[in-house]
Amino acid sequence: MAMEGSNINSEDFTVGCLLSIKTTLGEEFDGQVITFDRPSNILVLHILHFKGSKPGPKRNIRFLKANYIKELSFLGQAEDPLDIKKCYIDLHRLQAREELAVRQAEADAERIGVGVTAEAQSIFDALSKTLPVRWDKTSIVVMNEVHVSSPYLPECVSGGTPAANDRVKKVLELKRKRLQARGAGL
Amino acid sequence: MGYRNRAEAETEACLNEALLFATMCILGLPVDVHVRDGSVYFGTFHTASFDKENGIVLKEARLTKKGKSSANVAGGSVIETLVILSVDIVQVVAKGGLFPADGVTANISGDNVEAAVTNAPSSEIVASEANKSNKFTADRKESNENRGSAKNKNGSSQGIMLTKAGKDHEERKMPPNDMGNAMEFEHGKRDDVNISKRGAFSGDSVNGRQTGEDRSQDLYKHEFEFQREKSADEVHSLNATTGPHLSEAKPVAEGQVTVKLSPNGVSCNSAGKLMKPDSRYCGGPASVGTTSPIAVCASVSTSSNPTVDVPSESLCSSLANSTDAISPQISGSNRGSKARTIYCNSYRAFKLNPGAKIFSPSFSNPLSATAPAVPTAASMAYIPSNFPAVPFAAVQPEVGIPFAPRSFVPAKLPPYSNLTAVNGGSGSQFVQPVVGHMGSRAQPQPQPLRYSVQYHAVQAAPAFVPPNSQSVMDGQMGQLVYIQPVSHDLVPSEAAISSVSARPMLTPHQVQYPKHQGRAAGQTLHLCVTPPFVADGQQPFVAPSHVPFFQPPIPAIRPIPVPGSNTFFNTKFP
Repeated sequence: MAMEGSNINSEDFTVGCLLSIKTTLGEEFDGQVITFDRPSNILVLHILHFKGSKPGPKRNIRFLKANYIKELSFLGQAEDPLDIKKCYIDLHRLQAREELAVRQAEADAERIGVGVTAEAQSIFDALSKTLPVRWDKTSIVVMNEVHVSSPYLPECVSGGTPAANDRVKKVLELKRKRLQARGAGL
Repeated sequence: MGYRNRAEAETEACLNEALLFATMCILGLPVDVHVRDGSVYFGTFHTASFDKENGIVLKEARLTKKGKSSANVAGGSVIETLVILSVDIVQVVAKGGLFPADGVTANISGDNVEAAVTNAPSSEIVASEANKSNKFTADRKESNENRGSAKNKNGSSQGIMLTKAGKDHEERKMPPNDMGNAMEFEHGKRDDVNISKRGAFSGDSVNGRQTGEDRSQDLYKHEFEFQREKSADEVHSLNATTGPHLSEAKPVAEGQVTVKLSPNGVSCNSAGKLMKPDSRYCGGPASVGTTSPIAVCASVSTSSNPTVDVPSESLCSSLANSTDAISPQISGSNRGSKARTIYCNSYRAFKLNPGAKIFSPSFSNPLSATAPAVPTAASMAYIPSNFPAVPFAAVQPEVGIPFAPRSFVPAKLPPYSNLTAVNGGSGSQFVQPVVGHMGSRAQPQPQPLRYSVQYHAVQAAPAFVPPNSQSVMDGQMGQLVYIQPVSHDLVPSEAAISSVSARPMLTPHQVQYPKHQGRAAGQTLHLCVTPPFVADGQQPFVAPSHVPFFQPPIPAIRPIPVPGSNTFFNTKFP
């Protein structure tokens, strides 16, 4: 594969070597080469010093297209970070992890109102701590019966049984006060 | 600089192995994907293809940074599945990934362990069985040695070995009465059981072992059990049986329902044999057999298990001691058994284990304090329940159920399996209560001991009585008992019986017990308790046994009487 627009030699990417890389997008980071795949021109890096990141058992892994490397400096040579003998992948674990992640992401996504203001979202988040809520477009549905529509004032509460309606109004009022207090505090 | 061998070995056509591996490692992780125009997408890494055409697929992706060019993805919204073409990808950043060397290794090791465990269990079991057989033939001293071996095995095999050891112990215990015959029978039975158990064990072991903690717990449990078993053995059939039963029952409870079933046949046989030698003991052995299947041939293994457990440090010491000083050991073993039972019950719940451990110490202490009586006492505490209420003992730890079945023997066994299963479910509950008791026991050793005993008895009683009487014990017992009844006709009969004979006894007794104990402060408790337990236990056995023979419920009843007996003792003493 030709390295388009770069004078980088693929032999620079020796497994285990430490590199300081600057990308064409302006990112800069240090990493250890885990592998370099010539066919796809992908450099797999284990990020050692990503701004603000701390070294730990959890690692940041970066798949970088070598084409986008703007500058590269060789920092040193280290051991191969991958011990082939220890390479073990539990597919079930992976599946479970992904499933969990997707489920979590879906749950989170449902909590994000589409086309709503930040204030609306914060109200939603506040309400969700005490009541079951969901978005129905831009209105918040509490307990599946009470609707709170924009601008999410107590007066905007409609529907549901009187008791539920009153409760939602109270909670909403309280939440708004808290949010205001917090905003003022900040 | 050249690529390493691995890189060199790769051909252009083949996907880089390391790349593939790295890609696999970030599956399911949240990633940031930077694309050519500077946009950044955040999502869950779903899949990737590094061919020229395809790119990567993100799940639940959203645009987190808007790039220069206008993409067809609206910012702020979540895209369920986002495909990013390879040509657009600048880089993929996975944060917080567990990379090979780290998490992966751990995983691997863990998996290996598990696998080893599963595998080992059977092999170990066999070995343990062999050892057991040897042990059986050999003197108890030998058994001790076996324990050592078992311990060694345990280390390797973990829980399985232990269970086997436990079984062996139980068998051994049985023999004491009619050791020779029973032993031989048991051996044969054991073999059968073991086989069946092996299968079960492998399954069980796998299940429980999968969790590292579980494993450790199991091991501990096993150890405890083994100790118990050993102690039980020393004590002789009664105590030993009870201890083993408990321990066995526990193991069984977890995964062993199926095992039990298969074992049932075996256990039944063994039970029958055992029964022949000593009706009482038989009950114990039978139960052991049944339980053993569950707990991996718990009965058989019981003996061996103890040995296995022994390996584990204190247990070992206790075992050694037990061989020399049976009574102390027994106490230890009893403790262990209790703990084991608890553990067993809570294979799942490790919490229980701690409590169990605690218990064991307290038990041991009390036992030792009792001295001669101690072994019996310790075992007795269990025994009482065991003998008369062998089932009870089992019940307490979950084993109780098995015990009951045992006493019933073959006929009961099937039900037992059901029961055991039930127990397993309830087991956790039981365990917890037990733990609580244990804790209390541990603090005041004498009292605790008594309490434990009482508790056990109570528990046993409750198991039967449960409905009638009180607290934890009741709850536990009740559950177990109920289960059995439910499974069979026994229930009604049991209810009737238990309610009539046992329950009345138990409730009053139980209630009194705590009080008594508190009053007694545990002074006489030990002495009194132990002898009483024994005597009572036996007596109750007789009566209960008769009744129980009818059906499982009866056994339950027996147990109830036993607790009652204990309680009675207490009451009597006061």
